[in-house]
Amino acid sequence: MKRFGEAIAAARPRVVAALAARLRDLDQAEDAFAEASATALVAWPSAAPRDPAAWLWRAALRRAIDARRRAAVRDRAVLDTPAPPPTPEEALMAADEPIPDERLRLIFVCCHPALAPESRAALTLKVVCGLSTPRLARAFFVAEPAMLQRITRAKKKIAAAGVPFEVPDRQAWPERLEAVLTTLEVAYAQAYEDAALAGESAPFAAEVLRLSGLLAELMPEEPEVLGLAALVRFAEARRPARLDEAGAMVPPGEQDMALWRRDLIGEGASLLDRAAAFGASGPRQILAAIHAAHCARAETGITPWADIAALYDVLAAIRPHAATAVNRAVAVGEAHGAEAGLAELARVEGVEDWLPYQAALAGLSARAGRKAAADRAYAAALALDPAPAERLYLETCRRRLEP
Amino acid sequence: MQYMILIYEPEGCYDGEAGQAALQDIVAKHMALAGELRAKGIQKDGAGLQGVETATTVVTEGGRQTIHDGPFAETREHLGGYYLIDVPNLDDAISIARRVPVMDGGKVEIRPLIVHDQ
Repeated sequence: MKRFGEAIAAARPRVVAALAARLRDLDQAEDAFAEASATALVAWPSAAPRDPAAWLWRAALRRAIDARRRAAVRDRAVLDTPAPPPTPEEALMAADEPIPDERLRLIFVCCHPALAPESRAALTLKVVCGLSTPRLARAFFVAEPAMLQRITRAKKKIAAAGVPFEVPDRQAWPERLEAVLTTLEVAYAQAYEDAALAGESAPFAAEVLRLSGLLAELMPEEPEVLGLAALVRFAEARRPARLDEAGAMVPPGEQDMALWRRDLIGEGASLLDRAAAFGASGPRQILAAIHAAHCARAETGITPWADIAALYDVLAAIRPHAATAVNRAVAVGEAHGAEAGLAELARVEGVEDWLPYQAALAGLSARAGRKAAADRAYAAALALDPAPAERLYLETCRRRLEP
Repeated sequence: MQYMILIYEPEGCYDGEAGQAALQDIVAKHMALAGELRAKGIQKDGAGLQGVETATTVVTEGGRQTIHDGPFAETREHLGGYYLIDVPNLDDAISIARRVPVMDGGKVEIRPLIVHDQ
């Protein structure tokens, strides 16, 4: 049964995308796929299909056509869809064709910049990956009704505002690609930040890993897409080592490398090499290179902090952000001494109420031997409501200050 | 699909001599764009609106109607004009909205029209 479930999950993006392209309706595509999947779980144990995706495509398309026919009879009205719907005969004939690959079109629809980034991320994970609303609600820290409303609104806007089911043209491509990349970043940030949920986010992260791999497969000549897929792999490779037995956060430099997933590090490295071959750098590639540098400790035994600081310099130049400046100060502190790091940190402005800043200040102050300053910063960090894993980590660090 | 393109610009952006010169320039650009869109059969309607100092608002509340001097909401940006266009989809509407001339700080909102069958 588990085997069939996996086959259904693997077939989902291709089949749902093809259904959405044919039906021009995300809800109908999702419903038809869900019904076909339920039928498959009953039918397959006694007669396993040669090609599960093709089986699901045919079954789902027939169901969608039946549903439309019933609705048309009930309403006695013109079908209310943006594109002229196929006649049942056309669609049935189409069902015998190989499944068209419409995945890229579906992703561009779900990641349209006319939708808010949080809506895009939720919608893409729901429609393309098939994540349930309750699971998305947990991953995005919102109540289920709020998540349901977010997804419903996004679908409604796509239909009502006339978002086209097309891959954007060359002129619009950079902006549209950026929208896809930020969508995936939002999704991954959710998966990454809440390591504190200890296991809860792991299946979610696995879906984001799958989605980033799918994008790299569909857009093999976009270096930032490859860079983002690499970034997700390097970061996920370290997930098993991110918490200790007590559930406390472990920073990358102190993680047990034996727990790192070498397979994902290898995949990330090869994606990053492919991206670099295009000679067009970008923020995701640089972030991936920073993650790669952390993972390099698995080979060399030391973290190349000077390289990491230099990479943050480049990142700060193209995408200035407080997080970059704070991380850069930490890297400088590791590479050139805690005082040098503190000097860099002092140049970051307007971040006093920001947890990563106070945590960095505390860590650097402690290493510089400034115990009073470190204690103040740990107290400030703990007052900023860290997640449980980070709280445990900060509390342990603070206790170590005591003589 | 039909879309209303609503143009919002910062209050007072055409004030003064420099503002008036900018207005002439913007109006010329609107004329050129509208001419092109009409020639292509895309534009169904459109107009610039006189300033908010000419606006009058009728408010219905509790079964009573009252007349007010001014626009319905006191905001920094004011509705300055609109285009009504007919294009296949939102991406085409966005392409046109991008070309609508506005002063710095201007915002162009795209709203699909409600379609009534027959």
